[in-house]
Amino acid sequence: MDATTQPAAGRPPDAPGAGTAAPHEHDVSNPAERLRRAQHALLSRRRLSIRLRLVASLLLCFGLCCAFAVAAKNLLGRARGKLNLLQTIERLDDRILRVRAFEDEGILSGSDIEKVLEGSRDAEDLFRKETSALQAADREDLPALLGHLGTYRRLLTAVTAQGRERGGFAVLTPTQAAKLRHAETEANKLLEAMIRRERVSLSAIFQLAGTGPLVLVGVLLLLFAAITYCFAKALVNPIRRFEGYTSRIAVGDFSLIGPARTYRDEFSDLAVAVNQMLAALQEQQNRLVKGARLAVVGTMTSGIAHELNNPLNNISITAETLMEESTTLTDEDRWRLLQDIYFETERASEIVKSLLDFTRQEKREMVPLELGEIILSTLRLSQNEMNINNVTVAYDVPPDLPRIQGAANQLRQVFLNLFLNAIQAMPSGGVLGVSAGVRDHGGVCVEVRDEGAGIPAETLPRIFDPFFTTKEPGKGTGLGLSVSSSIIKKLGGDIQVTSELGKGTTVHVCLPRAEEQ
Amino acid sequence: MPDHTNVMVLDDEPIVGDRLRPALAKGGFDVEVFTDSAAAIERLKQKSFGVLVTDMKMRGPSGMDVLRFVREHAPNTQVIVITGYATIETSHEANALGAYQFVAKPFKMRELVKLVEKASKLTVS
Repeated sequence: MDATTQPAAGRPPDAPGAGTAAPHEHDVSNPAERLRRAQHALLSRRRLSIRLRLVASLLLCFGLCCAFAVAAKNLLGRARGKLNLLQTIERLDDRILRVRAFEDEGILSGSDIEKVLEGSRDAEDLFRKETSALQAADREDLPALLGHLGTYRRLLTAVTAQGRERGGFAVLTPTQAAKLRHAETEANKLLEAMIRRERVSLSAIFQLAGTGPLVLVGVLLLLFAAITYCFAKALVNPIRRFEGYTSRIAVGDFSLIGPARTYRDEFSDLAVAVNQMLAALQEQQNRLVKGARLAVVGTMTSGIAHELNNPLNNISITAETLMEESTTLTDEDRWRLLQDIYFETERASEIVKSLLDFTRQEKREMVPLELGEIILSTLRLSQNEMNINNVTVAYDVPPDLPRIQGAANQLRQVFLNLFLNAIQAMPSGGVLGVSAGVRDHGGVCVEVRDEGAGIPAETLPRIFDPFFTTKEPGKGTGLGLSVSSSIIKKLGGDIQVTSELGKGTTVHVCLPRAEEQ
Repeated sequence: MPDHTNVMVLDDEPIVGDRLRPALAKGGFDVEVFTDSAAAIERLKQKSFGVLVTDMKMRGPSGMDVLRFVREHAPNTQVIVITGYATIETSHEANALGAYQFVAKPFKMRELVKLVEKASKLTVS
């Protein structure tokens, strides 16, 4: 199926740029390179478009119908030929029989003989012309028949000539009569056999003409079924796959689409377009996350200024004391003052360091992390906000918590958002509860509780919406929870909020446990 | 009448009190130092001070709360507010509550001592 996890995995091994392992790994971390590879994997397959397949299927059906029409026309022609032949043969046979009736009386009228002669000639011509229309057995008999007919005609012609001399009637000598009779009998026998055979063959043709359309209908039915099956497969399966893609994109999984089949078609073009969209979305998302991170630092300005100015002030006034009182101070005092300066400098640099840690862009690598450490470092970052808002922490995170899979800075961003929200929800002070544990489904869950006013039920569904904020203008961007939610979902976790009016709000963050080696 | 040489320094940063105490004492002031605002309010109920130097943001009652208390219970005490994060709003609020001066951290100790001296003279007149 589709390489939804690692797009590069779906790349054919013969694709250009497979190279050695080191540059390969280096390249994959670059989003543009990842996109290029995914697109290449999608496009390097043999193209077999749906349009081509549709046209080919229709042409196949059309060709089949054409072939049937030609066959039907051919069959009709053959039937017509046979009917003609049969009619001629029957006429000839009929005349011969009539002449024979006259012969029995020993008298033949000239006109009768003319008719028989004419019929015989016609039949001979027809036989010669329509040899191909005759059955194989008939063709074998044909020379004998023609021989008999020839003899017959010669005798009759001779008799007619004699008859004309005598005044219109022909009288046969006994030998002539015997010969004529023999030729007649033989020709009649052959003709009767021919008629029988041609009738059988004609009825076979009619039977074929009757069953042919049924066969065609059957074949077309099978063909349509096959075509429908193929197209259903070619259309429905990709649509199902794309449904899957959209639902995973909806929850923030922006990994690129890889090849799912050995050929490409219009859906591959769609996949290429979706990949382009995913790359753009990913970039947008990165920008949003970064922006929200800086915004959160912005909301802490007063805390940060306070946190920095206090040690700076301590350093400044201590240095001033050292300068002013340099002559009166004892060595012990001087040592104590220098120590103050030293530790206050440490303190100031700590806050700068933690801020830098927080705002620094890090590789979004998923690594096993100690959740407790992340929570503690984030609490330190928000310590001053808590101090000035009279918020105390009730910390209950067991030290033996299993490690979770995630990206440290992104998680710090999430927890800082949650802590600051909780602190701001308690303007007149209170307790910020932070607890964690392993839940039934095996994930590690953290609860962040405040004792604020709570969130009304009608507002609760909207709190993860981007730019939705309950804070006064200028105090919140409305991005904190939205970005936190997208970060947690991307890390494969879940974030939920429960709230009770007048009692407070709890945010539950659950994260997948790291695979321990 | 508060003794104008009585000065209270309130800041939850202990170093501020440690440094201001000798500097102000040198200027002839009687200095009491507090790092806890609730304790400072208790002390303000018992004793009158000429000048109060208070930090703005503290655990428990804030500098603004202490200022309000002083305005109500010891209107003659001059209040100097120091803060690590000065905004126009907080400075306006402090002025509206009748603070003598609003000082941003980091400050020069020499200047703060001068301010306390000026404020204490205001208390006398």
